[in-house]
Amino acid sequence: MKKVYTVMGFLFLGFSAAAQHQHSNDTTSVMSHHELGEVKVIDKTKKKIETEMKMAVSVDQFLASSENISFIKRGAYAWEPLLNNMSTERSTITIDGMHVFGACTDKMDPVTSYVESNNLATIDVKSGQEGSLHGSTVAGSIDLKRRSTPFSEEKQWKGAYQTGFESNNKQFFNLGNASYASDKLVAEGSFSFRKAGNYSDGNNKEVRHSQYQKLNSSLGLAYKLKPLSSLRLDAILDIAKDVGYPALPMDLGLSRAIITSVAYKQLFEKGLVRVWDTKFYFNAIEHYMDDTKRPENLVHMDMPGWSTTYGLVSRANMVMGKVTSEVQLNAYNNVSIAEMRMYPQDRSQRTMFAYSWPWVTTNFTSVAMSNSWEISGQSRLNFGGSLGHNYNYSRFAEFNWIFHPGASQQKNRFLPGLHASYQLAVNAFDFSAGTGYGHRAPSVSEGYGYYIYNSFDRYDYIGNPDLKNEVSYEVNASAGFKTERAAIETKVNYFHIQDYIIGRILSLGSPMNYQSVGVKGYTSLPYARIMNIALHTRYDILHHLHWKGTLTYARATDDKGGNLPFIRPLSYQASLHYMHKNWGVQTSVNGDFTQKSYSPEYGEDRTPDYWVWNASANYAFTLRKTAAVFQVGAENLFNQYYTTYADWGNIPRMGRNIFTSLKFNF
Amino acid sequence: MKKLVVFISVLCCLVVSCTLDKTDYRAEIDTIVPEHTEFKEVASMDYGDYHVTLNALNGTLYKGHNEIRVQIKNKHSGQREQVSEVTFFPVRTMEDGGSSSCPHRYNLNFQPEGNLFTGYAVFTHESNAQEKWELYLNFTAGGETYKIRQPVSVQQQSNKNLNMTAFTGNDGHEYLIALVSPQKPKVAENKLIAGVYRLRESISEPVGAFPDSSMLSYSEVRDYTLLLDPRMPEPSMGNHSSPNNIDLKQGEDGLYHGVVNYTMTGNWTLNFIMLNQQGKILKGTVVPDDFTPGVEGVKSELRIDILF
Repeated sequence: MKKVYTVMGFLFLGFSAAAQHQHSNDTTSVMSHHELGEVKVIDKTKKKIETEMKMAVSVDQFLASSENISFIKRGAYAWEPLLNNMSTERSTITIDGMHVFGACTDKMDPVTSYVESNNLATIDVKSGQEGSLHGSTVAGSIDLKRRSTPFSEEKQWKGAYQTGFESNNKQFFNLGNASYASDKLVAEGSFSFRKAGNYSDGNNKEVRHSQYQKLNSSLGLAYKLKPLSSLRLDAILDIAKDVGYPALPMDLGLSRAIITSVAYKQLFEKGLVRVWDTKFYFNAIEHYMDDTKRPENLVHMDMPGWSTTYGLVSRANMVMGKVTSEVQLNAYNNVSIAEMRMYPQDRSQRTMFAYSWPWVTTNFTSVAMSNSWEISGQSRLNFGGSLGHNYNYSRFAEFNWIFHPGASQQKNRFLPGLHASYQLAVNAFDFSAGTGYGHRAPSVSEGYGYYIYNSFDRYDYIGNPDLKNEVSYEVNASAGFKTERAAIETKVNYFHIQDYIIGRILSLGSPMNYQSVGVKGYTSLPYARIMNIALHTRYDILHHLHWKGTLTYARATDDKGGNLPFIRPLSYQASLHYMHKNWGVQTSVNGDFTQKSYSPEYGEDRTPDYWVWNASANYAFTLRKTAAVFQVGAENLFNQYYTTYADWGNIPRMGRNIFTSLKFNF
Repeated sequence: MKKLVVFISVLCCLVVSCTLDKTDYRAEIDTIVPEHTEFKEVASMDYGDYHVTLNALNGTLYKGHNEIRVQIKNKHSGQREQVSEVTFFPVRTMEDGGSSSCPHRYNLNFQPEGNLFTGYAVFTHESNAQEKWELYLNFTAGGETYKIRQPVSVQQQSNKNLNMTAFTGNDGHEYLIALVSPQKPKVAENKLIAGVYRLRESISEPVGAFPDSSMLSYSEVRDYTLLLDPRMPEPSMGNHSSPNNIDLKQGEDGLYHGVVNYTMTGNWTLNFIMLNQQGKILKGTVVPDDFTPGVEGVKSELRIDILF
């Protein structure tokens, strides 16, 4: 069973008992089978987008506090989330179930970079095939749930404003949001602006090109059509400018995302179907790189990218006796375009042009179901499946034919998925065991990418339209013991992935990008194996003094026993949290052991161990009837110089960073 | 509701406006590479009862390879008649009064569709004030033989994809390689067609009053091989090459056929090594494979530069 931060429920319509996300351990369940050990009211602090250390976190920092997520970092901004140590191609990342695809061939804009902490309510992370509800996946799903104010009997105005400063990179941020709720109408909006300069590493050396600026705003309008139905409009506008990527040879000039949706929701007081929620969405992402600020580049390249998606997601929640079910229909159409234009040294000469994504269309449709059967007060069976259809079309297939003569210009794939897990709670103990099977289609880059430069291993990558589906066989298990004061839980999952897609050196062709050393083509390994283990402990030393610790380990190998890249070494995280009256003090330490199982073939080297110590204190007070919290703290208190296994190009992480923030709730 | 309308209209504006326009790359190639697909009249002549029209792409003869179409009609009836033995011979008159020819098809082929006689000419030089080109056409109709002499103008070829090169091989012979196709390459796998010709040594006497096949100065080279190595010579491209290229071999049409892959638009050099029937190198040098960013790429001594 996976840790799921489900929160919004259906508070949205002012109903809390009508329905639920059945497969998650929802606290708003219509069923009163709450005996399972794990079904407890989710810790309030986890509902907010903040970590225990820091209340003003970026989306990335918040995600980093989840144990099965790690990050590839190319700078201070837009980290690429790895779920179960697998890259973003293997997971589905959605915003309220909406598919959004980054427009950068170099993954400089993961979907998580287009939202902001003050327009999110929670992040729902599901591991493996349990995440197939939103679309075919191998690693699982990350659903960014947006803030959604429920209708209210009485007219209600609410708001929050947060400002802060971080010393290391001189980051200033202002986050504000406001909402109005009445019986018929809800209107809400948020606005945020962050501006940061270059950060400095533990040797107090400035890491050049690590600055960023981000503006994010969102709007939501909901109207109650009938007592049990509503219509909701949502929009997010995100603009990032002048974002430096110290690990890459280029920066971001501008990225812009417009994410919109119209949703209709119908509740039913009785019958099989309890909730039916249908949403049409549209999003357009633009991403323009800028390498003119790098003197080391003798040649300049424009690499603009566009990704446009239209989609539909329709979901029904059903209750049949002891079985609750969720059925979801997903459909989307995405067009991904990326261009590459190089300028000769003699600027008057003809420029050189190619598509790195040759106008690739993806049409995806899936029907997925997830069921939960409360067998008894102590046991529960979760099971489900999905069937997806993925269609790709490359408009300029001639680009793909250069490396793969005669490759298909259009490709249909069927992507089945199945999963089941059994949970058992016996007194203070609980156990679970599960299995899954699923296919995924290659991503646009894996299928159709053309000379996509990877600055980590310094190869140009070429996609292959006829790659086989990646097929995952998965088992997972957990065991836990819990008392009022202490808890210990261990989780393990294991993936055997057939036809694992990865880049291998091609003997043909020569590099195109200035810094690259060769050409790699995406190919399928016969199989790869990935195992993740996590151990959590919690202990309340005193009534107000809490201890938490996490230990994670992962191992991943290819068919020849070689290491796969970007696999987190043994790592730990421990924190102490003390509360007294209006005061809170917390301290934490986290670190990785030496990365021994690195992969030189993919540009990795041995990364030494490191540890980082953080501390913060906060004080809650009331200012003219407005609740306020002030926080001050330091990350990397001892100014350690370190780099992690997943820092692109071994760029050093941030040195000591003193942060302050002040938050008002109206 | 007003709010909603404003909100939606603002949103629409934002969505519709991309901050940077996408490249229409096919249109871009069009501006660099003029593509001519239509045969137009180059010259027309009246001779006896016959009206003879000479057609070429774009109505112009260019230096390099030209496909030639000749139409012969009866002036009075306008009907097609039994015309046969159409021969074609281009002659260049030089400043010093000497003359030479160029690779061409002497006996034109009859193409029933369109009632055409087809051939080609690879003009080695452009026309200028001192040097002129003339075409000698011969045909038989109604039992009579007709001979026509027509001055023509040979223009500069602005499309580098139809470039040619002339050189002396290691065997002492003079050769000529002219690109025939693709006229407009794509970032793709392109069929590459070229003509390879050798100058006959025996031609020394000036061309007589009316040249015939015995005076042919160039011959199509048989069963040679052109080893192909395309590169981007631009220093910023670091000697970039492309995969899956196929060396040029002679086809049934006498031309040499191969495959060239262009990975992006821009300047390319087609580096060749010419081998004779025995596999002996007649011209050309191997281009190193090294990736040399910032340095102009090394070229073979036998090459043709193209641009698209």
